[in-house]
Order: sequence, then structure tokens, then C-alpha cells
Amino acid sequence: MPHRRVAVTSPQTRLAHARRRSRGRWRVPVLDPADAERAQRIFRIQRRRAMVAVAWLFALVLLLPLVFALWPELDSLRLLGIPVSWLAVVLVPFPAMVFLAVWQLRRAEKPEDRA
Amino acid sequence: MIAALAVTPVVLITLLIGLRGVAAMRTTSDFLVASRRVSPLLNSAAVSGEYLSAASFLGVAGLVVKDGVGALWYPVGFTAGYIAMLALVAAPMRRSGALTVPDFAEARLASPPLRRLAAIAILVIGGLYLVPQFRTAGLVLSVVSGSQYWVGVVIAGVVVAVTLALGGMRAATYVQAFQFCLKLVLFIIPAIWLLLSVGPDIRGEAVRPVEFTHFRHDTSVTFRAAVTLDVTEPATVRTPAGGQIPVPVGEFHVPAGSEYIFPQGAPVPGVRGQTPPGGPGWERPLIDVQGEGYPLLGTWAVLLATMLGTMGLPHVLMRFHTSPDGRAARRTAALTVVLLSAFYLFPGIYGVLGRVLVPQLYLTGATDTAVVALPSQVDNGVWGDTFTALLTAGAFAAFLATSLGLLLVVSGAISHDLLAGGLRQLRVTVFLAAAVVVLLALPAARLDAGVLVTWGFTVAASTFSPLLVLGIWWSRLTAPGAIAGVAVGLLATAGAIAMTLFGPPVHGWPAILVAQPAPWSVPLAFGTMVVVSLFGRPPPWTTTAMLRLHLPEQDRDPGHSAFGLDRSSTVRRMVRRFVR
Repeated sequence: MPHRRVAVTSPQTRLAHARRRSRGRWRVPVLDPADAERAQRIFRIQRRRAMVAVAWLFALVLLLPLVFALWPELDSLRLLGIPVSWLAVVLVPFPAMVFLAVWQLRRAEKPEDRA
Repeated sequence: MIAALAVTPVVLITLLIGLRGVAAMRTTSDFLVASRRVSPLLNSAAVSGEYLSAASFLGVAGLVVKDGVGALWYPVGFTAGYIAMLALVAAPMRRSGALTVPDFAEARLASPPLRRLAAIAILVIGGLYLVPQFRTAGLVLSVVSGSQYWVGVVIAGVVVAVTLALGGMRAATYVQAFQFCLKLVLFIIPAIWLLLSVGPDIRGEAVRPVEFTHFRHDTSVTFRAAVTLDVTEPATVRTPAGGQIPVPVGEFHVPAGSEYIFPQGAPVPGVRGQTPPGGPGWERPLIDVQGEGYPLLGTWAVLLATMLGTMGLPHVLMRFHTSPDGRAARRTAALTVVLLSAFYLFPGIYGVLGRVLVPQLYLTGATDTAVVALPSQVDNGVWGDTFTALLTAGAFAAFLATSLGLLLVVSGAISHDLLAGGLRQLRVTVFLAAAVVVLLALPAARLDAGVLVTWGFTVAASTFSPLLVLGIWWSRLTAPGAIAGVAVGLLATAGAIAMTLFGPPVHGWPAILVAQPAPWSVPLAFGTMVVVSLFGRPPPWTTTAMLRLHLPEQDRDPGHSAFGLDRSSTVRRMVRRFVR
């Protein structure tokens, strides 16, 4: 065993790990004023961007079934022999969701880079 | 024999990787969240590996066979959840610095009762999610090998508990990242092989569904649970021993464990409350919950539950705590969408082929096994056996990965939140929780995996998703408001589930709202939280507690980078080479 591992923590540490955890170590959260102001600014931007992304997500995921419900002809329309609605239920949402995820990731990281 | 060949390597590798993780484990934090040193790509592979459960690997294709193409909406909801997670929860949740959801609740609102209530919600969600995993493990093993149902359940329980108790989350990360790759390969390659080898006739039939009314050839059907069939035309079935059993018109009770051979051309008996595969409405890409005729409402209900439920699934949320910072957690969510989208292009192939090749599974209610039953229908020789073995291995990997994460969260909730214990107690709890789940899964052979899992999502959507969304984005949320909302959501969904299982039958659109309560239970939980909070007065630090979650980490402590250089190990060295 060339890579034999040995515990190097003090016996006190090991005792502390084995002990029951005490709860109620909660402390009042504090932010210094500069950080608070920065956080407030980022929070506003992120909230708006998150709402837009979630709105797009709901629109995509809830409107596509509505399209299928309103236009049942899509079931008999065929592309390469496969009903268009079967293709649409797989090939529309997944690429759209990948795009939405990457888009929202970029948008969410930008304000943090600037701040 | 096939089952042994397939399952043994998966189990052995899982145990090996699990053992490898033991070396570096010293604290509860190591055990629960791998001391937060996991990179986004590795972590998103682990999230996807954990998330692709039996419900995804087998359940979606099974639901397509049974209910129709509309079942393909389930994976859309499963994936969409990660976008909601990315936009609303991932980074702030990670920045809260809490270990588990109850920890988060306490960090944000400083309320021990809320912490305990959240822990109870975790137990409910974990139970609804774990039992079908163990059940499907037993069912698939019994189909492939002819062994008893309980053998598979017990094997799954032992392997999961041992891996977890030894390795904890660090083990789980590598195990699950490995299992995601395994599942992806074991799902895609057989799908392509099936498509190529079925021939143009079957492919043509697959896209032109006709109702399953007569058996195309002599078909052997094994009933593992007792079933009542509705017979409209008299017929005669054979038993494997050579006996003949007349099937009269009317109700026909099939005892559990019987095997019948339906002769070629015999009429297919009906099953109460279900239309046969390929029947009217099967080809519609909408989910007709309980066949009540409101497909749009049913589809929306399922999508809401899966989309918002993903955001609140405790074992997935815990995965985000293994990221080094909020930004990495967000990237993990985005990459997970990509990985899941790749996987979910394929269940539909198994589903539409299963409708042509194994429609008789709908008689027994075991359509979940369609994926593993397909290869032997296409090829009787070596290739059929090989692909059956590969798919069984993938399915078993799916149960293992999901069960690992869930069991960890359930044990964490019991020993970390309800009892406040150390690492040793957590390990004991893992074994006890696994034993309880095995006991619950033993009588659950008849329950539908998809239904139970979707209920798990609904409970998560009605408890944790309002708690997290309002906790992160609304500073006026108060502890009493959060407690009221979580309690109302939990009671509403539990009531609806109890009503579906034990209550009187309901018809029309109320039936959908009882079976899939998300469209009203989620707004109810959100509304309760907001209204009760508005009546109370939030403590003075509440805005700070919320804003803290949105402040990006500044100076990155080198000790908290994705891969701790101070703790190198063979696995991490290898992974570091590939993951950047």
C-alpha cells in the first residue's frame, strides 16, 4: 500500500466530529453598507432577468400543448413518414430549452462580472 | 443469467468507486456535500446521473406504450425544471451556505420549527420517490432472470446502503457521474440498434398506430400481480404445461404469478379503465390523465408538477451545494439541461417500437419493462441477449444512482435536521432508512412507478418551490408565513393523494385536479405564504438575509477551488485531466 492514508487530525477534532451537533448557532446576518448597496443593485437586475427567463420557459412549455390541442391536423401531417406533432414534442422543446439555459446563464453572469 | 452478467459489473464498479471515496472523508460536510469541491461539468453529470431514474430510463417508454405519445411531455417537464432552477434558485441557494433545504430554511428565516417541517416534507418526497425505484428494480430483475420480486428489491437496498454508508456524497458524485455516462451509452446504442434491425415494416407500423385488438402471434404473458380482465369475445388460452383454459365473456380474474399463452389471432381482452395501446387518442401528443377527456388540462397539470417539482427536489438541491460557489452552481444547472436534453431524445423510440412489439405488457400493467423486453423481440440470438443485458445494466444503474441521492437526503434529514447527530449516526441512519424503504417496496409491486414519482414532484412543487422562490426573491417572507405555506402545500397534496388511492371515484375535470393536484396546490401554497407573511411583521434583518444570497463571492479562496490540490487522489487526478 504505497498510498496508505493516515488521519492527521487531532483527537480533539475527531471527538468534535463524532459529537452531536448543537443547533441554534444562528447569527443575525450582516452586510457592510457597500456590499448591501451592491447586492441590492444585483438583486434588482437578476430578479428582472430571472422573471423574463421563467416567462419564456412557461410560454414555451405551456403554449406548445395548446398548439397541439388547437390544431389536431398536426397529427396527420407527416414529415419523413413521422407525424409532425410527434417530432415537435421532442425536437422543439429540447433545443429551445438548451438555448434558453445558455442564454439565461450568460445574462445572469454578466451583472456579477460588472459589479 | 443475463441479469447476473448485467447487474454484477454495475454493482461492483459502484462499490469500488464508493470505496475510493472513503479515503478522503472525515466530516459530516464531506459526507453530505463532498466538502464543496466539485466542478460544474462533473457535478452536472452527477446531477443528471442522479436524476435519470427508473422513471426516465424505463418509465417514460412504458407510459408511451400504455397511454400514448403524450407521455413524451414528462421528460420535457423534467428538463424544464432545471431552467427554472437556473434562473431562480441555483446560485442564491448555494450562496446561502446551507447544507440541506431545512438548513436553508433556517439560515434565511431562523426558525427551528420550519426546519423540522421541511425535514418531514423531505421524508414524504423521499418516500414517494424511493419506493418506486426499489419496486422497479425488483420488477425488472424478475422479468429478466425469472427470480423473485423481493430478491431484486433486497439487492438494490443492500448495494445502495453500503455504498452510501461507506462513501457518502463524495462517493456519490463519482458514482453518479460515471453512471450518467453509462446510462447515456446504454440507452442510445440499443435504441439505434433497435431502429436499424427491426426492418422497414415495423418502422412503418410504429408511426401508423392501430389499436391492439388481436394477438399477432402466439404470445406468452406472465401476470406478476393479480389482474381482472374484461373479456368481450370468448377465447381459449394455453398454460405453459400444455393445459387449455377457456376464457368466458365477462370479468376474468387472473391470479398473481400465472402465465398464459394467448394464441395467434385471439381477441385481446380489455383492462378496466384503460384503452389498449394504439387505441383512439393514443397518437395525440397530450396527456389524458385517467382517460377523463381533458387532455390539455392534464398535460398542463403534469408539466407544472414536474417543472416546479424539480426545483424543489431535495436530493437535486443538495447536489448544488457540492459546487464551490454560486456561479458554479448556476453553470451546473445549465449544463444539466444540455445533458438531459441529449438523453431525452431517445425514450420515444423505445415507446413507439414497444407499442408494436410488446403491446401485451399492458394486460399485466408492467409496461415499465417494455425497454428491457424489446431486444429479445427483435433478435433471438446473441445480439438480443447482449442488448437485453446492456439495457438491464443501464436500468439498474438508474435505480442505484437515484436511490443513492435520495437515501442520502432522507438520512440527512433524519440525522442532521430532526436529530442533530454526527457522522457515525448518519451512517447508521442510512442503513435504517434503506431497510424501511425495502419493507415499504415489498408490497408495492402493483403501484405504478410513474404515478408515485409524479406525486413526489407534486409534493416538492407545493412545499419547497414556494419556500425557495419566495425565500430568495421576496424579503417580506416571514417564518410563520413559510410554515403555513409548506404545511398547507403538504396537507393539500397528501389529501389529494389519499383521495386518489382510497377515496370514491371522481369524474370529469375534478378527477384530473385530484390525481394531479399541482395546478391548484402550488398557487395555494404560494398564496398562503404571501398572505400569512403580509399579516406578520418581518424581523429587521430580513432584507439583509435575502440580499446576502445575491452577493457574488469575491475573493475566491484557493482552498475552495473545484479540485482541492491538497487532497489529490487517483480519481480526482484523472478527472481533472478531462474536466476543466
